[in-house]
Amino acid sequence: MRAANETPAVSRRTALNWLLGTSLGATLVAALYPVFRFVIPPRVAEAPVNRVLAGKLSQLPDNSGKIFRFGSKPAILIRTPTGEVRAFSAVCTHLNCTVQYRPDFQHIWCACHNGQYDLQGKNISGPPPKPLEAYKVDIAGDDVYVTRGA
Amino acid sequence: MTRQLANATLAILLAAGARAAAPPAAAAPVRAVKDACLTCHAKLSDERLRKPAELASADIHQTQGISCAGCHGGNPAADDPTVAMDPRKGFVGKFTPQAIPEMCGSCHSNAAYMLRYAPNIPTDQLSQYRTSKHGLALAKGATDVAVCSSCHGAHGVRPPSDARSPVYPTRIVDTCARCHADVALMSRYGIKGNEVAEYKKSVHYAALVEKNDLSAPTCKSCHGAHGATPPGVSSVANVCGTCHVSQLERFDQSPHKDAFAALEQPACEACHSNHAIGHPQDSWIGVADKQVCGACHSAGDAGAVAAGAISGALAKATAAETAARARVGKVKRAGMLMDAADVKLEDAHQAYIMATVEIHTVAVARVEKQTEVALAATAAADKDAAAAEAEIRYRRTGLFVSLIVIAVAMVTLALKVRSMER
Amino acid sequence: MRALDKLWHALDERLELDPIVEFVAHKVVPRHRHSWAYYFGGLTMFFLFVQIATGILLLLYYRPTAEAAFESVQFIVTRVPFGWLVRSVHSWSANLMILSAFAHMFSVYFMGSYAKPRELTWWSGFALLGLAMGFGFSGYLLPWNTLSYFATQVGTDMVSKVPFAGAWLLKFLRGGSEVTGATLTRFFGFHVAVLPMLTAVLLAGHLAFIQRQGMHVPSSLEEEAKRRKPIRFVPNFMLREGVVWLLGLAALAALAAFFPWELGTKADPFASAPAGIKPEWYFLFMFETLKLLPAHLFGIEGELLGLGAFAAGGLVWFLVPVLDRGRPGGGRGRAFFVLGWLVLAYIVGFTFASFAGVFK
Repeated sequence: MRAANETPAVSRRTALNWLLGTSLGATLVAALYPVFRFVIPPRVAEAPVNRVLAGKLSQLPDNSGKIFRFGSKPAILIRTPTGEVRAFSAVCTHLNCTVQYRPDFQHIWCACHNGQYDLQGKNISGPPPKPLEAYKVDIAGDDVYVTRGA
Repeated sequence: MTRQLANATLAILLAAGARAAAPPAAAAPVRAVKDACLTCHAKLSDERLRKPAELASADIHQTQGISCAGCHGGNPAADDPTVAMDPRKGFVGKFTPQAIPEMCGSCHSNAAYMLRYAPNIPTDQLSQYRTSKHGLALAKGATDVAVCSSCHGAHGVRPPSDARSPVYPTRIVDTCARCHADVALMSRYGIKGNEVAEYKKSVHYAALVEKNDLSAPTCKSCHGAHGATPPGVSSVANVCGTCHVSQLERFDQSPHKDAFAALEQPACEACHSNHAIGHPQDSWIGVADKQVCGACHSAGDAGAVAAGAISGALAKATAAETAARARVGKVKRAGMLMDAADVKLEDAHQAYIMATVEIHTVAVARVEKQTEVALAATAAADKDAAAAEAEIRYRRTGLFVSLIVIAVAMVTLALKVRSMER
Repeated sequence: MRALDKLWHALDERLELDPIVEFVAHKVVPRHRHSWAYYFGGLTMFFLFVQIATGILLLLYYRPTAEAAFESVQFIVTRVPFGWLVRSVHSWSANLMILSAFAHMFSVYFMGSYAKPRELTWWSGFALLGLAMGFGFSGYLLPWNTLSYFATQVGTDMVSKVPFAGAWLLKFLRGGSEVTGATLTRFFGFHVAVLPMLTAVLLAGHLAFIQRQGMHVPSSLEEEAKRRKPIRFVPNFMLREGVVWLLGLAALAALAAFFPWELGTKADPFASAPAGIKPEWYFLFMFETLKLLPAHLFGIEGELLGLGAFAAGGLVWFLVPVLDRGRPGGGRGRAFFVLGWLVLAYIVGFTFASFAGVFK
């Protein structure tokens, strides 16, 4: 019965109200959707800090080394022939190549220009001008955590 | 060079005296209770005579109890100058250049004696010196060549590990330059005199002064310190190879090793020059003007073809890496997480550096093997950057859609207001 | 509907809401050819709301220490879903809020609305603008990137020029003699606790004054305002303001999409300052003016003289309601009208000239 009385003006008003409600609702959704997504933390639940889980102690035999990553920079975890665990930046101080542990030399070695570092990260041979930056190592059970100085 | 002034007769006299002044190896040096040399000389108005007394307190020998008389002889206990500086008691005032190495060596070549003071320093300086260009010229009677005191100083001698010592790594270059930059003096020995200036353009000097890298090579690292002499053609590579081990190893595997030897070309120097060793550029490789291979190879020969291939491979890797770095940097600044791409770029950089080491084999395949690794890593980083760019575009699209929604809401609201107010 | 009515009745019974309803129903906004100027205050408030909302969201992940601040903002913009959007909107909305506040201030100034009895509204508004700039200055440092670090160093250094109290002020702002992690912690405290609290109090006052006194109509427009039917506040003006707010929202979305706020590189206190450090644009006119001054002027340090001049200028601007006695025939003083245009031209001119690189 209402439909019979409807004038063009009324129907235009109804359409306008509908459009207004829909578009305001959509705006609200567009504004709130990011908010709801934002409040749920991502899978990596924490901002990257200066500490990473570098590896498992049981997987690091004496006289061996392992490369891990601090953000986008490589770092090296070594276990000395006497069983001590140490960590250093793996960025060679000469030309930024990634160093590695050489069990045969029993120290750290850079393949690019044969730079060599001792088990304290000190440059002992070849072109590297400076020692490797040393990191702090904490062992909790089987987990080896490495902390970078602030 | 001030020491050339000594007159010849005095020189002979004093040379004899110097020997007499040498401390007997067995006698323990006694710190003179009273040192008249220092007390008197400190009061003298003639600066030339006062200065040694002033410098003495900083001298390593003085601090070890070896005072003026240890070198100059005489009797430091006597107050009367004629007694204290009696040439008959072995006193020597001014040493001739010829006398100095022998005088210093009388202790420094004595292993048993040195053991009591500095067990860790070598005792072969004098024998090395005698083989050096300086020592050989001195033996022929030259007085304008370096002797011990020319580099170490005469009074106020400090150990080379002391940053104030003229032979400390950061200062030794200028110490050598005191004579070696003197073109007139050097021309007498057939030396150009521009070597130090050239060296100061090198990557080695840059490492020394800019990075304060004390292990960076200075003059003495290649020429030797006490046995200073130019390395011969056949030993240049060994000099460089003490630090640049990998490059030498590659070079020794290359056909260049025998070819350079046959041509009597110094290995590293032929391409890298000697003193003004600059940072190597990809553009060096080739036979064109100012390119290093052109010295022996000419366009069309096998060497030129290989050089072209190597330089092409390097240029391609460099260009790809530069482009990928720029692209990754751009999306990074736009707020995208590019850790994975950074790692790939580091890998690419490392492979590129390995390629530059492999150049020394002059084997195209070995260089290309590394540049292929670099290109693959760069391409992977580039792909990451492309994905990030796509994500940025996706975000823009999303926001563009929201913008339309907001605009529609705005227009309808405006229409609503108009219809209400009509 | 019946449930809502019941709730209303229950509340009305207890709180006596009728006078408020009455007030709202009769609240009107005058209609004249410069009515558009009435929307800027509301628009500023909209951006403030956006700031509060996005600010609270950022607080969920942000860490105010020198070690973690940059990393946490990086985490927000790279890993948290829509973190890039929230952060970008927070940065842009801050700028638009200050822009809108400036527009509000100048429109009020040129309509002479500061005059008696609205002095308190002018003064509280002046203080609110100062707080907004304080928000901008303290918030700029929080991402702990190179530019913000050095801009803060330059900015805080200026207070050391204040006679007598300079050294104390510098220590107070920096939490030490240098810009360090201690400064960051302080600025964070100012940004999320001190300034919001002061803003809330002042804003409550500012709004209450307007409700008590109603909208001001300049004498030159009184005739027109009387002739034309005023706009009812509810719902007409509210809906109109809604259109403006949607425009603000659209501007934010567009800016966030096409000019995402960059993160820069982490601050390194030991690095040398990068070339071309600039503060936020709303400090540029002061920044460039101070740079133009010679080292010494009339035997006084040029910078000190400049800061003194800005302080004096600010005081005059603040005291305009008292200083401007008006004209006998009604309306505000001609001199203050000219002054307003000069100040506007100076601020706009210097800001644009700075962007155009005139001062390089």
